[in-house]
Amino acid sequence: MKPPILIIIMATIMTGTMIVMLSSHWLLIWIGFEMNMLAIIPILMKKYNPRAMEASTKYFLTQATASMLLMMGVTINLLYSGQWVISKISNPIASIMMTTALTMKLGLSPFHFWVPEVTQGITLMSGMILLTWQKIAPMSILYQISPSINTNLLMLMALTSVLVGGWGGLNQTQLRKIMAYSSIAHMGWMAAIITYNPTMMVLNLTLYILMTLSTFMLFMLNSSTTTLSLSHMWNKFPLITSMILILMLSLGGLPPLSGFIPKWMIIQELTKNNMIIIPTLMAITALLNLYFYLRLTYSTALTMFPSTNNMKMKWQFEYTKKATLLPPLIITSTMLL
Amino acid sequence: MLKIIIPTIMLIPLTWMSKPNMIWINTTTYGLLISLISLFYLNQPNDNTLNSSLMFFSDSLSAPLLALTTWLLPLMLMASQHHLSKEPLTRKKLYISMLILLQLFLIMTFTASELIFFYILFEATLIPTLIIITRWGNQTERLNAGLYFLFYTLMGSLPLLVALLYIHNFMGSLNFLMIQYWIQPLPNSWSNIFLWLACMMAFMVKMPLYGLHLWLPKAHVEAPIAGSMVLAAVLLKLGGYGMMRITTLLNPLTNFMAYPFMMLSLWGMIMTSSICLRQTDLKSLIAYSSVSHMALVIVAVLIQTPCSYMGATALMIAHGLTSSMLFCLANSNYERIHSRTMILARGLQTLLPLMAAWWLLASLTNLALPPTINLIGELFVVMSSFSWSNITIILMGINITITALYSLYMLITTQRGKYSHHIKNIKPSFTRENALMTLHLLPLLLLSLNPKIILGPIY
Repeated sequence: MKPPILIIIMATIMTGTMIVMLSSHWLLIWIGFEMNMLAIIPILMKKYNPRAMEASTKYFLTQATASMLLMMGVTINLLYSGQWVISKISNPIASIMMTTALTMKLGLSPFHFWVPEVTQGITLMSGMILLTWQKIAPMSILYQISPSINTNLLMLMALTSVLVGGWGGLNQTQLRKIMAYSSIAHMGWMAAIITYNPTMMVLNLTLYILMTLSTFMLFMLNSSTTTLSLSHMWNKFPLITSMILILMLSLGGLPPLSGFIPKWMIIQELTKNNMIIIPTLMAITALLNLYFYLRLTYSTALTMFPSTNNMKMKWQFEYTKKATLLPPLIITSTMLL
Repeated sequence: MLKIIIPTIMLIPLTWMSKPNMIWINTTTYGLLISLISLFYLNQPNDNTLNSSLMFFSDSLSAPLLALTTWLLPLMLMASQHHLSKEPLTRKKLYISMLILLQLFLIMTFTASELIFFYILFEATLIPTLIIITRWGNQTERLNAGLYFLFYTLMGSLPLLVALLYIHNFMGSLNFLMIQYWIQPLPNSWSNIFLWLACMMAFMVKMPLYGLHLWLPKAHVEAPIAGSMVLAAVLLKLGGYGMMRITTLLNPLTNFMAYPFMMLSLWGMIMTSSICLRQTDLKSLIAYSSVSHMALVIVAVLIQTPCSYMGATALMIAHGLTSSMLFCLANSNYERIHSRTMILARGLQTLLPLMAAWWLLASLTNLALPPTINLIGELFVVMSSFSWSNITIILMGINITITALYSLYMLITTQRGKYSHHIKNIKPSFTRENALMTLHLLPLLLLSLNPKIILGPIY
């Protein structure tokens, strides 16, 4: 699409999220969400095919429903507290509605069904924006209302998200769906400690965004969307295969890479609050996640997949795709511990 | 401790910037120099520990293991020279860097003074080992082997993380040096039982305990020689070392919680030794013998008497050197006939007599011949388990017999008898291989002259 239009749309997306993060009036927050959603629809539809249309429609429907639920929660809160300022929400019904709405926007279980399908139907760049930038706005609202969130509800959602994220990704070979299930699982980890220590949620979000950005950029460098096409990478960029290895291990949460930091901190906060079984369960289910990341590295970095002779022609050409900020991203996503 | 850690880190730039024909020489030489530095730590003056910084310390338990780890790096490098000779230069350097990285994590693990630091490095040793096994192994089963290895260990160790964080909250600090003064007896309750289980299962899987040992034959068999060496010699001892450190926190629950694991170990010793008698695959035989020896260490650590701790420590060092040497011998066979089946290369004594001498000495130390430290370890363990319960002597006796049986079976099948036809044109032994065996055997035999350095903190 033409650059001026792209700039305006990107600016609207960013403005929308900024408005959500910076305002204290509930109506403005709702406006920010709507701006964000409407502006991202053309980005999701960058490639004009029926699959992208379906993905955009699903995204629009879920996000619009969530925004309406949020508005209802805001109205109920207005009814009982008489103010529009975002602060501790006294009414439990309003709190539950807002939590449900925000988790629907994030793609937490049981509202996770849209995430794999939407991520699969769009291009890698749009998928990257969807899974990283779009999480910032709902998370910031959850951070702000965190004292009044019903812990049981959110913990249940978090636990089921980690389970769904683990088991759902097991049967996938499409990279975008794998990243979608990874997003569901990581959102689950984040939701688990919002009510106990919201700062850890910010830590997890930051590291998750760094790692997901790096992963998507590595995929985009190769324009690969399936495991099969990723496995031919040893022909073209052998260095990037090692990067993918370390990045996948970091996403899986193995020490001493930086993906371990959020898991360690979250388990520490949860044990400080006397919950022992839940972090153990979450940690063990995160191993399912590790399994399908490891499967990706098996086909990419640790074995040499059979390839035809034509593919070896590409050795002559140096790659020219721009990988902006890729080295620092990779280093921060693996070495921060 | 930085005197060992910084040189080990600097070995990595050394490999990447050496001239192509000097990478092996440089890394092996400097690896040997680093191991000489670690020998200084063996001089433990009194009952106390040598604290070198806030984060690192070494006492009589970790110093021998540290020396074993640093001694093993040059040996691993010497052993890998042949099978990597045909690979492109970058891959050789990558392999050496993986080995050095693993060495670094192992050094830091053995000298860590805080338990969470220990945990992070304990897990971190998995990554280079996984890469070495899956990338440079030789058969297609290596992928499955890597998966089993990683997931068995991780399943066991994630509850350990939760348990350590819980103990941290409960006690205020996890610095090992301070915890020994703050220990209170752990009351008996269901949640403390689960705490005990969570703490110990990670090390049980690593040792491995008999019921959880499935990863070990796979990983050992599929790994390249350096991977097998480091797995058998050091990574298994991580489990033993961790158990010895963490059982100080878990009294008096260990008195009755240990029973199921004692049963599994005692029975498992005999089972795995018996399996060794029926193995056709040489590396698999040595792998199962590792399980059997480690089961003795588990028994020793769970009994928790001074005698048994001495035996456990001695057995860990002795088994490390012996097992690594056996893997090197098996690898020298594999490099010649490209098969691990024992009966394909029989009667090697007529063709390679010096190697037969090393085979003989390795098998003799494996079956715990006096006066080697293998015997000292096993004897102390048998003595202490007899005092714990008289009946165990039957099982221990059967185990020692079967160990002798399969060690001699291995020796006789590969060395004695008439040679098979097709091995008449194998290459003679390289000096490098003879040097490798000597370097394994010399510490083993010299330690039998002064075993007190490996007898651990109780001596």
